[in-house]
Amino acid sequence: MSGGRRPMVEVRGVRKSFGDVEVLHGVDLDVHAGEVATILGPSGSGKSTLLRTINHLERPDAGIVRVDGELMGYRRVGDRLHELKERAVLRQRARIGFVFQNFHLFPHLTAVENVAEAPVGALRRPRAEARREAAALLARVGLGDRLDAYPRQLSGGQQQRVAIARALGLSPRVLLFDEPTSALDPELVGEVLTTIRDLALGGTTMIVVTHEVGFAREIADTVVFMDRGHVVEQGPPAEVLDRPDHPRTRAFLAQVR
Amino acid sequence: MSSAPPAAPVPARHAPADDDPDELRGLTVVPARYYGRWLAGGVVLVLVAQFLHGLATNPGWDWPTFFDYLLAESVLKAVWLTLQLTFYGTALGFTLGVLLAMMRLSSSPVPRAVAWAYIWAFRSIPLIVQLLFWFNLAYLYQELGFGIPFGPVFWTFETMHLVGPITAAVIGLALHQAAYAAEIVRGGIISVDSGQREAAAALGLPKLRQLRRIVLPQAMRGILPNAANEIISLFKGTSIVSVMALGELFYQVQVIYGRNGRVVPLLMVATVWYIVLTTVLTVVQHSVERRFARGAERQPEPGPLDQLRTRLRGLAQSRSSARALHQSPVPPGLPPEPLTDTARTDATATHATATHATATDTTATDVRGPRKGEAR
Ligand SMILES: Nc1ncnc2c1ncn2[C@@H]1O[C@H](COP(=O)(O)OP(=O)(O)OP(=O)(O)O)[C@@H](O)[C@H]1O
Ligand SMILES: [Mg+2]
Repeated sequence: MSGGRRPMVEVRGVRKSFGDVEVLHGVDLDVHAGEVATILGPSGSGKSTLLRTINHLERPDAGIVRVDGELMGYRRVGDRLHELKERAVLRQRARIGFVFQNFHLFPHLTAVENVAEAPVGALRRPRAEARREAAALLARVGLGDRLDAYPRQLSGGQQQRVAIARALGLSPRVLLFDEPTSALDPELVGEVLTTIRDLALGGTTMIVVTHEVGFAREIADTVVFMDRGHVVEQGPPAEVLDRPDHPRTRAFLAQVR
Repeated sequence: MSSAPPAAPVPARHAPADDDPDELRGLTVVPARYYGRWLAGGVVLVLVAQFLHGLATNPGWDWPTFFDYLLAESVLKAVWLTLQLTFYGTALGFTLGVLLAMMRLSSSPVPRAVAWAYIWAFRSIPLIVQLLFWFNLAYLYQELGFGIPFGPVFWTFETMHLVGPITAAVIGLALHQAAYAAEIVRGGIISVDSGQREAAAALGLPKLRQLRRIVLPQAMRGILPNAANEIISLFKGTSIVSVMALGELFYQVQVIYGRNGRVVPLLMVATVWYIVLTTVLTVVQHSVERRFARGAERQPEPGPLDQLRTRLRGLAQSRSSARALHQSPVPPGLPPEPLTDTARTDATATHATATHATATDTTATDVRGPRKGEAR
């Protein structure tokens, strides 16, 4: 696509096995700055695993991931890759936002404490300042009036919006979403999608795993279709969703429509 | 059948068609009466009264002697020693216990194995045997040295001076306690949803902070009730130290009745002290638990005192106004919408099942209170 510029996220030949089962069979993926990539594919095709290797929650067995030019999990010395210590990996992760399917908010912290936790704990920002910024982020996702609510006092859609604000709190270079709406009741999906759409329009680099084909078409610059650990097809939504080359893609799209 | 013309509208549910819902709403609610419960309650009360009567009238209890010794200086001193043993045993035991729990959860095999072996050993050795070992430490090792392992020694201490009977008792209790505390802490930690750790890791929080800010506060919910059990049982377990002739409560009481032969009243002295102090510990436990329940429930649970106050106020008001129920105001700082709803529902439920209606300001909490909050 954009010639010459180095992509924000580069995935090259990533393989991952759990026990004897290989879940990712050498995946390649590029996402450029400001782009939105959506990953579609049947259940068990390795979408979550791919996303988790990008921020090194899973260590790939082979292949590399680079985010904003920084090699995830390794340091190159000559022609060797030295594995980074956990502390260094944690530091790298602090620049990548991750939004989970089940939110995973911290239940004993209020909304604003949830959002301010990582800036204070991982980036060592002063507490008062972090809280102010957290409040601003919550206002941005439409929760400016629920700063002191605990997660259990919020609806699912509100919780997921807090989780998005929490991921934004680290001023991430890229945001990763793993099926952000699939744990929500249908009437709550819209508010979360709206929040993600606003971020997309604002130029945040994002990789979104989703089953919402319509939403993927609307926000994606690139649609990636995965099946059984392979990227089967990849391209602009008009191509992949409307004129799919691969029979698997066609079968999947026929099913979800 | 489907083609039949719609006749008059079908009456809703089981209500006779002529009941006006607005009129129904205004009717007085008669609480269900459980005669079996009343009968059982009466029988129990009679038995309790008989027992109390026996306590007061049977001269064998010898209450004058009891009151002579309850606050005697020697007894108070013994109570103080018992408290000290409990405090140091708990503090050291749980500190070591947290450390052992971390070791057992470590990803490196050596600390894991060491912690496992420690817990295995100290849960296998009866406390009394262990205490006697510590007491006789000076017999095994006359001197303790401080230096390079298997190398030169810089300082030596005479074991007799270093490990007096109180120290021996504290060490024994703490080491024993640590094995149990380790398992309690480990249990609390592994009960925290793994997604919490994952979310903390995804945010790049440093390891120690993940533990301190995210995992432990949530683990505390599971740890506290068990930890309180352990502390209370350690508190009473200190009586085992009497084998070392240490003047803690139980030993002291034995000394006194050995002298004057008044066994029963002096056992009562010890019993009353154990009961009073356990009660204090229980109340402390409850308020600590409440602190760690932050965010765990939609409404904070009332403490035992709050509950008592609520009950009494409810008793006073139940006769005068049942309608007060519907004016429950929303506690400050909580979402107004869903809360009001729960408060209403709960209030109605209380109204229907309990004879003593609740007070206005804590209506909702009264229903859930007795479930967990009752002092045990
Ligand atoms: N920690 C794990 N241990 C063992 N197997 C795993 C683990 N995580 C994932 N897998 C397996 O890897 C495969 C891919 O899982 P993954 O969660 O990546 O699929 P997915 O595409 O995200 O599916 P879904 O749409 O259902 O979320 C599955 O067969 C799953 O059983
Ligand atoms: Mg998944």
